Amino acid sequence: MDVSGIIASNAAKYAAITVEKETPLDVDAGLLLVTDLNPIDEESYAANLEDHLQSLARDGAQALLAALFALPTTRSDDGPLAQLPPPTTALPRAKPLPKPKPPTKWEQFAAAKGIQHKVRDKREWDEERQEWVNRWGRDGKNRRFEEQWITEVPANADVDFDPRKEARDERKARVAKNEKQRLGNAARAAGGTGKKGEDGEPRPRDARKQQIERTLATSRISTASMGKFDRKLDGEKKVRGVKRKFDPTERPLSDEKDASLALISRMGSDAKKSRRDPAAAPDDEPMLNVRKAVRFASKGRGGVALGRAAAGGRGRGGGRGRGGGRGGKR
Amino acid sequence: MLRNIKPKNARSKRALDARLPKDIEDPRTTVFVRGTHTGQVLNDVMRDLMALKRPHAISFSKKNDIHPFDTASTSTASLEFWANKNDASMFVIGQTTKKRPNGLTLVRMFDNRVLDMLEVGVESFVSMADIKTPKSTPGHKPLMHFASDLFDTNPRFAQLKSMLIALFNGEVIDSICLAGLEYVISVSLGPSVPAPATMYPNLVKEEDLSSLPTIHLRSYTTRLLASGTKIPRVELTPMGPSLDMRLRRHTPPDPELLKLALKTPKLKKTDIEKGLGKKRKNIEVDEMGDLRGQIHVGKQDLGKLQTRKMKGLKGGDGAVEEQEGPDGEEEEEEEQDGQQRKKRRRQST
Repeated sequence: MDVSGIIASNAAKYAAITVEKETPLDVDAGLLLVTDLNPIDEESYAANLEDHLQSLARDGAQALLAALFALPTTRSDDGPLAQLPPPTTALPRAKPLPKPKPPTKWEQFAAAKGIQHKVRDKREWDEERQEWVNRWGRDGKNRRFEEQWITEVPANADVDFDPRKEARDERKARVAKNEKQRLGNAARAAGGTGKKGEDGEPRPRDARKQQIERTLATSRISTASMGKFDRKLDGEKKVRGVKRKFDPTERPLSDEKDASLALISRMGSDAKKSRRDPAAAPDDEPMLNVRKAVRFASKGRGGVALGRAAAGGRGRGGGRGRGGGRGGKR
Repeated sequence: MLRNIKPKNARSKRALDARLPKDIEDPRTTVFVRGTHTGQVLNDVMRDLMALKRPHAISFSKKNDIHPFDTASTSTASLEFWANKNDASMFVIGQTTKKRPNGLTLVRMFDNRVLDMLEVGVESFVSMADIKTPKSTPGHKPLMHFASDLFDTNPRFAQLKSMLIALFNGEVIDSICLAGLEYVISVSLGPSVPAPATMYPNLVKEEDLSSLPTIHLRSYTTRLLASGTKIPRVELTPMGPSLDMRLRRHTPPDPELLKLALKTPKLKKTDIEKGLGKKRKNIEVDEMGDLRGQIHVGKQDLGKLQTRKMKGLKGGDGAVEEQEGPDGEEEEEEEQDGQQRKKRRRQST
């Protein structure tokens, strides 16, 4: 049997759909792109430009289509869909990568505790009506206690106990709580993840936290051993950069003498004890606290009462304490 | 800048959300802008390019005083404003002057800022309407073909290639209907002319535009003919537009901005399991389409092998624990000696 004819026709078939080039064509199927990196042939370019360009394009298209038709396909109504690989050519994006959404307080907690996310169906099966009903929203099941026509009232209920209002208030409270938590999450997300808010200043809560930490650190190193022998709390961090300083064991005699003299001079002087010199006080700040003096002199009854007393005799009975004290302010 | 809009209803919220950055981006919306002067040629070029780019094209058909390469003008600010307003990330600007006739400027944006710009001069043009052949369906994705070694070696042409892909085909898709591959956009260069030899090569400007070859942009519709194999044979028919262009001015991308723009999203876990991005080891699909895995077990330690247990070999008081090879007898003797010693010790105590 002579098969040479079949082989020849087969070879002719394949010749039409294969592209032989010096440098193989670079096909990026993900972008439907083919690059022919062979240098342009000057002769055919000069001979007939349009034919040259079309034959180049045909070769490229043939190579690209061969790559595309070799891809795995899935069926669809419009014909086979080729599953494209991801592109290999790097192209700049039009917009930056989306930022990950900051986790809500619940999501943080769930992640810490290892709680899995469970998708809850929006609809719920209603046994009485024998159909699926919304959990919330139109004909929502969360309003069933408000809408049922008869409600059991507890035995010890008030006379004006309204079970519908009770149920409605409870539901509204849940909604309000959720909204508050949502706003809190939004505010936390807007503040960014760092210690600082958008304006660069630490947020009030963080500022308070920093101050508490500073105070705690100061108090911890305020013992003679600088907190070395204090009882540690769980999770307490070690204060860094705290070291006791000792004087050298040997010092020149003059140092010791100076230190002792300084101590003696401090003991003798009244530098700490002495009050402010009245003469040195600024003019706008009077030495005498008038309000305090009036309160003291009138025994808390105020300036008017004092004036009346000075005029002679008691004007009015009562009027002791706070009521009279108001006059002192004027 | 545009004011920060807060959506008042669900529809406007959806519209705003559609503008947010995405992992896999939509095709670049392109604005076709007329400059202060555009001749008939440029108008036709822009109309035809727009026809190819539809539906992701917006036309600015009035005259606009825009000069993107003039740094003294406010053109960059205008482009950024337009990009923000139209959610567009690419511009094609036509402007013809005496010095630079029929100039077409391609501007690519990133994050509403200008990433890079490229100007070409149109030398000859045949419109789609002039070629009386069937046209492709609007909105179908083209195949792209680039032919020349310069697209790899010359940064100017590499930029042109990247720009044209971004213009026509920059969208990443995961599947395509094979019947819908209707047309090819082919970009080819003239033969590369070696730079004229001069006595003072150092004095020659780096970019001698006259030495750069002409760019031929052609588009063809495809006809897929049965070849007797799974892969069809392709025949092309000119469709238009046909452009012959020359490179002119350009602005390379700012390296910092380009680095940001070239970031790729992290692969999802499911994609990694499917084998994208990473090499899948020891898994293959055979000719029958079955997934076959290869399991590597560690080296077996035969010393720990549990053999048959026998009563006589169990460790008792005087019993021999193990007998191995020629050393067994010696051990036995030692064992017996030990026993005797123990007995002796017991007697003595």
